Amino acid sequence: MFLDFSNKSTWLNQVNPSFKLLLFVFLFVGLLFIDNIHFYLYFTIGLLIIYFLMTGFPIKWLLIFISPFFIIFLSSFISMALFGEGETLWYRFGMIHITQESFFRGIHLGLRGIIFGFLGLIFALTTKPVMFFYSTMQQYRLKPKLAYSFMAAIRLLPMVAEEVYVLKQALKVRGVIFPKGISGFYQRLKYYSVPILAQSIRRAHRIAIAMEAKQFDGNAKRTYYYQSGYSYHDIWFCLLLLGGIMICFFLQNNFTFLPVERVIN
Amino acid sequence: MKKQGDIMEQIAISMEGLKVKFPNEKSFLFMDLSLTVKQGEKVLLVGPSGGGKSTLLKILAGIIPNSVEIPMKYTNSILPERYGYVFQDPDSQFCMPYADEEIAFVLENLQIPFQKMAELIPYYLDTVGLHLSDIHTKINQLSGGMKQRLAIASVLALQPDVLFLDEPTAMLDEEGTDQVWDSVMKIASDKTVIIVEHKIEQVYDFVDRIIMINTAGEIIADGEPYKMIEEHLDLFRKYGIWYPGVWKGLNKPSFQNQLSFNPAITITQLTGYKIKKEIIHIDTAHVTKGDWIAITGANGSGKSTLLQSLAKLIKTKGTVHYSFTQDIPFYRKVGFVFQNPELQFVTNTVYDELAFSLLNIPLSEQEKRQRISDHLAIFQLDHVKNIHPFQLSVGQMKRLSIAAITIMEPEILLLDEPTFGQDAANTFRMLDYFVSLHQKGTTILMVTHDQQISEHFATAEWTMDAGKLLTISTKRTCRVEGKQNVLGL
Repeated sequence: MFLDFSNKSTWLNQVNPSFKLLLFVFLFVGLLFIDNIHFYLYFTIGLLIIYFLMTGFPIKWLLIFISPFFIIFLSSFISMALFGEGETLWYRFGMIHITQESFFRGIHLGLRGIIFGFLGLIFALTTKPVMFFYSTMQQYRLKPKLAYSFMAAIRLLPMVAEEVYVLKQALKVRGVIFPKGISGFYQRLKYYSVPILAQSIRRAHRIAIAMEAKQFDGNAKRTYYYQSGYSYHDIWFCLLLLGGIMICFFLQNNFTFLPVERVIN
Repeated sequence: MKKQGDIMEQIAISMEGLKVKFPNEKSFLFMDLSLTVKQGEKVLLVGPSGGGKSTLLKILAGIIPNSVEIPMKYTNSILPERYGYVFQDPDSQFCMPYADEEIAFVLENLQIPFQKMAELIPYYLDTVGLHLSDIHTKINQLSGGMKQRLAIASVLALQPDVLFLDEPTAMLDEEGTDQVWDSVMKIASDKTVIIVEHKIEQVYDFVDRIIMINTAGEIIADGEPYKMIEEHLDLFRKYGIWYPGVWKGLNKPSFQNQLSFNPAITITQLTGYKIKKEIIHIDTAHVTKGDWIAITGANGSGKSTLLQSLAKLIKTKGTVHYSFTQDIPFYRKVGFVFQNPELQFVTNTVYDELAFSLLNIPLSEQEKRQRISDHLAIFQLDHVKNIHPFQLSVGQMKRLSIAAITIMEPEILLLDEPTFGQDAANTFRMLDYFVSLHQKGTTILMVTHDQQISEHFATAEWTMDAGKLLTISTKRTCRVEGKQNVLGL
């Protein structure tokens, strides 16, 4: 959502943003109660289809965005598989003991990470921040004070990025050399954060004054440039998710191929 | 608003017996200040930096104390019911990412139905002369001048009686400055306009009245523009205001010493990249020892990129050969001063900032202390040496950022728009110092958009266009001789 290169708009962009978020929150919570590994596998495939076909981004970028979540998958899978407990022993070497249970629990945990990553990215890549806040103001009565603070803050982010870039050059010119290790990290943190924070606070203060000078009142009634409401896209989206979940349940019950069905937490 | 007398005599703003004191300061910023502005009048407020012009403007608009709390008192006042306020910094007065959304933001505040917005937004953009091919254009893709035009358009949507302009062109180049005043003149005929500005050349013909405020926050002169220049020229000079013809009164530095012909920098086939994109390409160019080169050109022509390439701050191809030996760190020989001083500071006090630069230079403690106190004196920072750099005024910050580099006595000094947004007094003080460095043999390369600086000081001017070095014109082959006092005070 904070990324600034959403060039193609797909029908997922037309779904009411705050409704979309609400559905995703339900999914997030609901998934925690599911322990069937087949369901997770099928659900991941479903999300993969949505992610690559319906977000309107080039495949290259989509692969880059999702790559960190694969690292999360691998790390949680490995740590769970190698050290988790279980009865059916497959392999043992010192501290490492892989059992059937721990192996599949690792896969389950890793998939959960990936699924959350997919959901988050699908939301972020198909939602414009301004539209999101307009819809939360209109559908869920978010206070304009909060909504506009967020929108103004998002505007500041690219400026902060630019400043970090200049700061890096400036420190080089001033002959600042950071020592290696933790003390270097601390020093770096100090040299970067103080000026950036000072600039940002000052700028935020100025923007706040400018907003009030433009007769902004965070609690007053207002009209909206973008009218946000519900449309048939919301129904489609709802059906897509419900249908997807039904199919996953169906597949989980009829097409199992792994020796383990449920992972016990 | 009170109605009194005929239309011409109606009062737009009146303030009587204003007293203002900042919480932690001993003296009053304003003590019994009174001011009346008639409806439709165009007023220019001028005065030295830090004299409280901007604060006064905010008080007259009601921003102080409504949005910013500062203790104040007055006996009587008439303030405008509806006003528009344009701020100095084009980047910190918008809260929305797109141009149309920003104007819509104002219309929403006034609870104008969304159906009407679609016609009002293009109307206001058109009124200020901001012709965008698509009104849904990103604000950060606009130039500084266009941003300020957008700011004017968005305050026009407030349908203001009074327009306050708080140094709207201080951070703009010449082209942007022209754009802004163009827009103001288009829309302001029936409005009361109060302007704070220290570059007054463009507004001089537009305003009906100039009010001058001194450092003590008193009105010391008030009258029609031509009379003010006639009668109070000395005050304009003293307070460092850019009045029309300010350059004519200067003592031009005299150039006598023949330049040596030893090259300081030799550039061959230099290409500078930003985010893997080629920004500049220069076939060949030479900088002679003792040169003072002004790099000029339009916005985005690659002036700053050229400087950054020479300072090895960005990725480059080709060669830049420096004549000095490479035995000591590069950045001690080549000093670079950024446009935004705030990002250059690394310590907690002004004194430490200078000491930091000398950290690795082989001098005795005694010599270091001496050099620091010399620099504090030259840059008039002695009285603030123990405070945090961020607490300095804009002019002081700029001076400190230059001092922190020149204290290392670099052989080559690269300056990115050093006089940008400074008042005349600060500018001339800085130029004075550069002249003295130049006399001592420092080679200077300076990005500037001020043609006057190039004319008066440079030994050569490089003009950039679309990433290429368009022309190299030699101004003189001599170096400044003798002690100079540019400001002539």
